[in-house]
Amino acid sequence: MSRDPIIIINDLRVRIGGKEILKGVNLKVPKNCVFTIMGPSGSGKSTLLRSINRILDLYDDVEVSGDVVVDGVSVYDPKTDPIYVRRLVGMVFQIPNPLPHLTIYENVALGPKINRLVRSRRELDELVRWALEKAYLWDEVKDRLHVPAVKLSGGQQQRLCIARALAMRPKVILMDEPTSNLDPVATSKIEELIIELKNYLTVVLVTHNPFQASRVSDYVAFMYDGTILEVGSVDEIFTKPKNKYTEMYVTGRMG
Amino acid sequence: MRDGFSIVLKTSWNPVKEDYGILPAIVGTIISASIALALALVLSVSTSVLIVEVLPRRLRSLAEVLVDLAAAIPSVIYGLWGLYILSPFLKEFVMDRVVELGLGGIFGYPRGLGTSIFSASILLSIMITPFAASIIRVGLRSIPIHIKEVLASLALTKWEVIVMELKYIRRTIFTALAVAYGRAVGETAAVAMVVGNTLTTDFFKVFSPGYTISSLIADQYPNAEAYTYMVSALFTAGLFLFMLSLVINVLVMIYGEKR
Ligand SMILES: Nc1ncnc2c1ncn2[C@@H]1O[C@H](COP(=O)(O)OP(=O)(O)OP(=O)(O)O)[C@@H](O)[C@H]1O
Ligand SMILES: [Mg+2]
Repeated sequence: MSRDPIIIINDLRVRIGGKEILKGVNLKVPKNCVFTIMGPSGSGKSTLLRSINRILDLYDDVEVSGDVVVDGVSVYDPKTDPIYVRRLVGMVFQIPNPLPHLTIYENVALGPKINRLVRSRRELDELVRWALEKAYLWDEVKDRLHVPAVKLSGGQQQRLCIARALAMRPKVILMDEPTSNLDPVATSKIEELIIELKNYLTVVLVTHNPFQASRVSDYVAFMYDGTILEVGSVDEIFTKPKNKYTEMYVTGRMG
Repeated sequence: MRDGFSIVLKTSWNPVKEDYGILPAIVGTIISASIALALALVLSVSTSVLIVEVLPRRLRSLAEVLVDLAAAIPSVIYGLWGLYILSPFLKEFVMDRVVELGLGGIFGYPRGLGTSIFSASILLSIMITPFAASIIRVGLRSIPIHIKEVLASLALTKWEVIVMELKYIRRTIFTALAVAYGRAVGETAAVAMVVGNTLTTDFFKVFSPGYTISSLIADQYPNAEAYTYMVSALFTAGLFLFMLSLVINVLVMIYGEKR
């Protein structure tokens, strides 16, 4: 991997409720690429993403050891403010989770407003529009920005969540199966978006779908039972995987 | 009824002349309810946030037990405490001080033990708070983890998250206050003991003794049979109280239950 890494993970171990879920993860994610994590259900993909922006802090009884460094910032250093990390690293969750008591507009505007990323109402309006356009949602919602976000369909809600994360202008965006609720048309739009996003930021994507991984990724890591079994460029992983589990997975014999 | 609707507009209460007006009691009820609810909102939301989000886990259950115990105290005890401790305290440290600032013309002049609409309002708010707080606590605890995750992922600070969570459960807070208020006004005894039970023309001045509808009924009913029309007058007052609670309940149904 030639480009500078923006995320470096060193021997990351996570225990939740005494159970070890990440068992020593090592990863380097290069800047401005799509880095995909694949692996069977329960292998710890979501937990790994949650550890990068310290969302794990919200859970009870979590122990973390090892290092995560994002853009030169040591995420678990006691001197590091988690708020700072979360400005750097945006997140799209596995289940679409718009804030139901807010409107479409407010959902996207909340983060930038509270973090004072804009100086005027006009700038905020522009940022909201930009984010919604990027997430291919603008045309569908531009006439009803001020209706509750829960009025949207599941797929639209997921694109709203993508827009909400983009509006924070993060350097890294973590996407946990962002298309699992979308139809094929919306899915291909989101895949286009993911590829385009590389121009401004780094995407860490979790997907179950090997075809999606092969379409959008630059690098693929294969995760199994709390460890990374294999990492490589998308070509290496899909054409000559070294690990037999990886091979079974990418050829669709394990899911 | 001799007077017809004018009974709710009159301020006089003169059983000897069979002349009854319940406006002071109605206004007293509305003023004390408003002050009590505003204060209870602040008190119950802050105790709930303190217990659920701020206190270390070991102190949480202790605080919770204390608040729940406060909800179980009979209202007569609240009344006695209000009469002999809270009212004199409020008189000395709040009402007298405000009057010294020359504001007696607006708020009225406290008498004796300090029994007044103001004291009754504060006492009511203290009685409402434990009930409301227990409902709000449940509301805060039932916020789904995925909502908390989004708020955190948008780089909100702990306090910003709490503010957003309170907005998220705002209907629960509204319902909690309405339900708690309904319970507390039902407990007439406490209010009747501290409101002063005095008819004055200054009934809109909160430091002066006054009446609420329920304290008027509690205070006057024992000798109502001796007069021709007083029972009817008190029933009218009761009808009014019923309509007030009806309005509150309808508001809760319209706003509180909606999701
Ligand atoms: N909050 C939690 N408390 C206890 N155990 C948890 C928690 N979150 C995750 N786990 C456990 O950690 C393991 C990994 O979960 P994780 O959600 O990271 O898997 P995943 O790879 O994302 O799976 P999927 O593909 O189904 O989303 C699972 O065994 C799960 O039960
Ligand atoms: Mg997952």
